[in-house]
Amino acid sequence: MEEYIVQMKNISKEFPGVKALDDVQLNLKKGEVLAFLGENGAGKSTLMKILSGIYQKDTGEIIVDGQVIEHMNPAKARELGIAIIHQELNMCSHLTVAENIFLGREKTKSGVLSEKEMRKEAKKVLNRLKIDIDPDTLVGDLAVSKQQMVEIGKALSVNARILIMDEPTSALTSAEIDELFRIINQLKSEGCGIIYISHRLEELKHITDRVIVLRDGKYIDTKEFEGLSMDEVVSLMVGREIKNKFPRVECQKGDKILEIKNLNAGKMVRNINLELYKGEIVGIAGLMGAGRTETTRAIFGVDPKDSGEIILEGQPVTIHKPEDAIRAGIVLAPEDRKKDGLCTKLSVGDNIALPNLDIICNKAGVINSKKQEQMVEKAVKDLQIKLANDNVDAGSLSGGNQQKIVVGKWLARDSKVVIFDEPTRGIDVAAKVEIYNLMNALKKNGIGVLFVSSEMPEVMGISDRIIIMCDGRITGELNTSEATQEQILKYATKFEDKSGENKGESENGN
Amino acid sequence: METNKKGIRKILAIRGMGQVLTVTVGLIILCIVFGVLNPTFFSNKNLGNLLRQIAPILLIGIGQSYVLITGNIDLSIGSVLGMSCMISATLMTKGISPIAAILITFVACMAVGFLNGHLVSTCSLPPFIATLGTMTIGRGIAQIVNGNYNTDSIGAAGKKFREFFYYGKTFGIYNTILIAIIVWIVFNFILSRTRTGRHIYAIGSNVDAAKLSGVSVVGTTVKVYLVSAFCSFLVGIITCATAGMGTMDSGTSYEMYAVAASVIGGVSTLGGQGILLGTVVGAAIWGVLQNGLQFAGAPVAIRNIVIGVIVVVSVLLDVIVRTGSFKRKKKA
Repeated sequence: MEEYIVQMKNISKEFPGVKALDDVQLNLKKGEVLAFLGENGAGKSTLMKILSGIYQKDTGEIIVDGQVIEHMNPAKARELGIAIIHQELNMCSHLTVAENIFLGREKTKSGVLSEKEMRKEAKKVLNRLKIDIDPDTLVGDLAVSKQQMVEIGKALSVNARILIMDEPTSALTSAEIDELFRIINQLKSEGCGIIYISHRLEELKHITDRVIVLRDGKYIDTKEFEGLSMDEVVSLMVGREIKNKFPRVECQKGDKILEIKNLNAGKMVRNINLELYKGEIVGIAGLMGAGRTETTRAIFGVDPKDSGEIILEGQPVTIHKPEDAIRAGIVLAPEDRKKDGLCTKLSVGDNIALPNLDIICNKAGVINSKKQEQMVEKAVKDLQIKLANDNVDAGSLSGGNQQKIVVGKWLARDSKVVIFDEPTRGIDVAAKVEIYNLMNALKKNGIGVLFVSSEMPEVMGISDRIIIMCDGRITGELNTSEATQEQILKYATKFEDKSGENKGESENGN
Repeated sequence: METNKKGIRKILAIRGMGQVLTVTVGLIILCIVFGVLNPTFFSNKNLGNLLRQIAPILLIGIGQSYVLITGNIDLSIGSVLGMSCMISATLMTKGISPIAAILITFVACMAVGFLNGHLVSTCSLPPFIATLGTMTIGRGIAQIVNGNYNTDSIGAAGKKFREFFYYGKTFGIYNTILIAIIVWIVFNFILSRTRTGRHIYAIGSNVDAAKLSGVSVVGTTVKVYLVSAFCSFLVGIITCATAGMGTMDSGTSYEMYAVAASVIGGVSTLGGQGILLGTVVGAAIWGVLQNGLQFAGAPVAIRNIVIGVIVVVSVLLDVIVRTGSFKRKKKA
């Protein structure tokens, strides 16, 4: 009994029309990392929101430190030392690090803020985690990874002992992930209990003690992590075995469809040359900040180009703005689906119709609603999106389904080249496979696919050819059949030697 | 020397200082231009008038800045001002003592602020709509209190009242100006040095983050609308004292003047950003333009056009300064 710091028993929660949680349980020990797994929509977030007091449970029991907590609310949760680090970072970007850490519980002396004291304490917390950030920096000026560290620091500054982390690594580079894991292990040894939600199963082995799995709002199992194979984990999550995590179709390499010559756009896109053939998927690998997203944006005409040529099916095309690219037949499914990919307040149908209004409008610009309906219906069917109807807000869907719509809106028109930027970020294994299948279908239909991804297994599993970028330049190209992770990493870290002015052969690989 | 340098750097480090300094330069240039065009611009008499012109704009600017920093807007400022002017004047013409009249007016105005705050936070109405409603209601009240007529002169009983709020001087400075200065000092202190102030910025920056950190969003939102109503109330009283009577349309479109003063001074309409020092400069630019153009003989229409252009240009400058230095939007 005593060993658990958190016990949740028989928790059920119903939202209008949906049973989000059905008789779920969860136990957390002191000083352990409990990996919390499940597909999108399995009820993980709901359960965590109940634990942190944001939602109220319908039935069931929450026991913290052996004490039954009847009415959990955010203030109470904080008091009990429960802190949640959200996937979408919750920081005030206009405030400094110290101000964010103390937000909501500022120290004051007779009504006046004690800035100095707060700054000192913030520094202390950051030092404890061995994070090197000046507490006076504006949070908006920090990289995402650092913001996350600040958020952890904030949780610890209130003496949190139960830490919930929701997909903490989805926006981090591998070096930053190592740093995060160092901190997690440190917290573990200090006796914190950590609930760790992630879709990246590969990284669990570095930190996890036990796994708990939910599926469709139901409790499936809790297991010791040691001795558990990844396949077992996946089959627990999905309820069936996924035979092939990276499905692949072979087809004949066809004509050259796209050629980029000497593309330059600012600091992050420097002298890019690449070719894309019909019937192949070209993966663009690299570290975060290698200029991959910038390259796709420059090709698509979102950002201005300084120089360069884009040749589509042998014809040079001029692309100044996305409109030009779409008209020519080059489309982009952007990285951040909520920010760039979807109008979250519009319906699924309107989202799919948006870039295709030229097709479904008549000459006077009036929308032919029948055509729209047909288009949406076909897209929803092709993509196998599960929907009550297509009038629901795009923002209300799960991540996987949102991603399908980002992709699906482009499939309704005849494009020649489709660029995917991190299409599988933050979505679960099953949804990932569906996205891969979609890409394969495009490839089979003779459409050129460019595929940016930070996850190496995925790049190696799906693409036919891999282009590696570093620091805004292409540093290497490999055929998938002969590529290894080490090789990719070697190219991805081929930074220019900027120390000293010996511009010549200074490829010491820093 | 060392400490001096440190002091300067510290001032420059204050958020929003950049924009304030830019517009201050603009203000100085304007003053020089008008001074050259018309030497009497810098006469004592005109400076006193100029400052008295700036004071009400500064006051409502403070209120609007508070609201804007939380990421909301208050469109009811002009109407609350009108209410304040009409209610106080009507009561005084009916023989009620100025102090009682002021208290009653105060309560009425604060009620509007309270309503605004709760409509926006508790009922989560869009602030534009909520305050558009109270703006119309407020104007209606201003019209109805005296049966749809402007009031008569507030007369002999109101003499002291007028002296205190309008033509009286303390230490050789008009009381109106002193009131604005005191109000500014108090609210600047609250915004920059207290917990409430910090919460105001936090809500404007990221309301979810603030909520999850235990900040009372409802409480803070109500507070900023109360501040805004209070400032409008004060200006209404000053307007009443200035004219010696209540006019139903007083304060019309002042809410927009308040937005202009705030925005010129670097307060972001998107929330989270801006300091009250900027509002001072914004209000000053506004006042100098009005006064200077009037002196130069420009008709009202021209003044309106010039001020409109200044508002757009100053915000545009801010956008260019902030994002223009790197042509492309940075994207991770």
